[in-house]
Amino acid sequence: MERIKHWVAENTDLSFAILLAVSVFTFFAITEPLFFTHRTGFAIMERFAVLGLVGLALTLCIIAGEIDLSIGSNAALAAVITVRFTDSLGAVNALLIALAISTTIGIIQGYFIAYLRIRAIVLTVGTLMLLRGVALFAAEEKTVMLTDFRIPDFISTKMLSYFSPASLLVIAMFIVVGLFMTYTRYGREIYAIGGARKEALASGISLKRPMIIVFAISGFCAGLGGVIIGLRSGTAQALGLQYLLLAGTVAAFIGGVSILGGKGGVIGAAIGTLTVNFLNTGLVFNVTPAFMVQLYLGILLLVVIMFQTGSRVFDERQRRNQLLQDADRRRSILSDKIAALRRPSG
Amino acid sequence: MTDATAITEDLNFFQRIRRDFSPLVIAMVSLFLIVFIAGAIFTDDFLTWFNVKTIIRDAALVGIMAIGLTFVTLSGNFFLLSMKEIAALSIICFATLMSADWNQWGVEGADPTTYTLAMTFVVAFVATMIIATIAGALQGALIGLGGNPIVVTLGAAGLFFGIGSWWSDNLVVSYRRPHGAEWLGTGSFIGDIPNITVAFIIIAVVAELTLRYTTFGRQVYLVGANRAAGRATGHENFGMAIKCCIIASVCAAFVAVAFSGQVSSAHVNYFSSEFGSSGDMTIMVIAIVMVGGNSIMGGYGSTLRTSLGAIFISSIDNMMVLNGFNSGARVLAVGLMIVFSIIVFALVRRGSRAVE
Repeated sequence: MERIKHWVAENTDLSFAILLAVSVFTFFAITEPLFFTHRTGFAIMERFAVLGLVGLALTLCIIAGEIDLSIGSNAALAAVITVRFTDSLGAVNALLIALAISTTIGIIQGYFIAYLRIRAIVLTVGTLMLLRGVALFAAEEKTVMLTDFRIPDFISTKMLSYFSPASLLVIAMFIVVGLFMTYTRYGREIYAIGGARKEALASGISLKRPMIIVFAISGFCAGLGGVIIGLRSGTAQALGLQYLLLAGTVAAFIGGVSILGGKGGVIGAAIGTLTVNFLNTGLVFNVTPAFMVQLYLGILLLVVIMFQTGSRVFDERQRRNQLLQDADRRRSILSDKIAALRRPSG
Repeated sequence: MTDATAITEDLNFFQRIRRDFSPLVIAMVSLFLIVFIAGAIFTDDFLTWFNVKTIIRDAALVGIMAIGLTFVTLSGNFFLLSMKEIAALSIICFATLMSADWNQWGVEGADPTTYTLAMTFVVAFVATMIIATIAGALQGALIGLGGNPIVVTLGAAGLFFGIGSWWSDNLVVSYRRPHGAEWLGTGSFIGDIPNITVAFIIIAVVAELTLRYTTFGRQVYLVGANRAAGRATGHENFGMAIKCCIIASVCAAFVAVAFSGQVSSAHVNYFSSEFGSSGDMTIMVIAIVMVGGNSIMGGYGSTLRTSLGAIFISSIDNMMVLNGFNSGARVLAVGLMIVFSIIVFALVRRGSRAVE
């Protein structure tokens, strides 16, 4: 018990995320009789496959103190490329080409952000449009479709009653990235440039390497998400997948990242994504239209942001009050001393 | 006049440009201009009065939104990712009130008089503006308290879009012609110049004069250029963010009203992907602000640049349509222009100013 208390006190954000996930899950498990079943578990894991990747990518970006707005376009481009070339080159080749392209895009973005020293928001808003143009070009402004449906069937075969090849791959990805972030020097560098960029640069970390790594992973995750969506549904649209950015950001923020950077982690991203998935899936059982889901996600994000900003403002105010009080106390002590010194002489 | 201006007297036009702008910017702008002029000469039917009118009319709707957004950008709050969602919420509000039974102000079945049409329009317009003001103030307050503009407006975008869809049941809301908004959508008072073009020009001029000559305008630049100096002189970002977000939202709502007047209907998806040619409305608006050459970090730029950017993008688009390009190539061209101008401006800034 004591140990749990200690852990909670140390990881407040993570425990808040777990609490939120558990309460959302319990709410739907009680109100919807079909929610707490094996099949729903499988459906949730299937959603986790895509949203988890985007949540992971955005978590890494926000840890580094930046945000990648082009993630939806990158995913759409990868989806279009995979679906378009599966028939002529085979699924594996098409998939590898798509992943290579989206990772390269990520590396280029990271390089430019570090080299030009601009905020990622500025550059990625440009690439958001550029990549959409490329995707439209690649798809010839049509919705591209698969003709051979063996691959979609393979990707969503059920394994171990909850998992499919896609979601197992994504879980493996989570583990690898989590180990990378926690135990390697490169991962620590990403935390460093997010939490305290000036200090990190002053202590000799180059901005380029962590930035390129973050955006390469982000591009890879976006590409993999796009590939999974494209192959699973058998179709891809160049202008689609715009909703990924909002859902991924909500997942990352529930998982405990701070917009100032340097906080949060892969476990948080997983829990945040699961919370969003519970909400999504539960609302589907409630026969809620898709736009209402967006409304709830928006409210959720605003509430989380309000809490974060509010606590920061509160902290700052308290620190200032503390300083003022200290100064007052010191002054009163000093004036007492002065008075004590004066009395005998006067 | 001070000595500094006295020296400039004996510089000619080209020398002054070379002093004020870096070679990279001059190269980029001249490249754009050369491509533009070559295109204009070699495209048939481009330089006709009718086509010029079309270009400015196309630029008007996105341009007005971009002018509103310029205030936010200049005050150092990046941009609002919720522009099209504010417009979607406003268009639903406007159309719902235009078609409401209680808002018809006349005998049922009778031909509406000018007075009743005007009253219907005024009620719907005022309500829309109030909603937009509330939406803007909400976001501005959150941004001013220290929330990241991108994340706040991303959440607000979901919220507004959801409210709009929920209010309209995700259906098209339409209202009968004749209605009170026709003069704004499709009418023209001055010769054959559409009223929306006139509105664009008036808004551009008013915005530019506000930024240059009023106290508020100077404060926008101050807060954007140097947050710390602004705070030290008593100009907190809190009030500034709220004011700028309200301006942006009201501009978006005005565009929504004008667009609804054109098609006498409304749907939340009007601004999402079908609008215009180049994909998403929000990104298009941000593209205009960027291509116009405003500094995204704030404090440098003007609404005049934004208006010119709007007309530039619109004419490039028009030129490509006349030459038979598909939408993919057009989106690609606009995307390339944004990325290109971002990189050039960043390179210039890298050399000139201390990096944060």
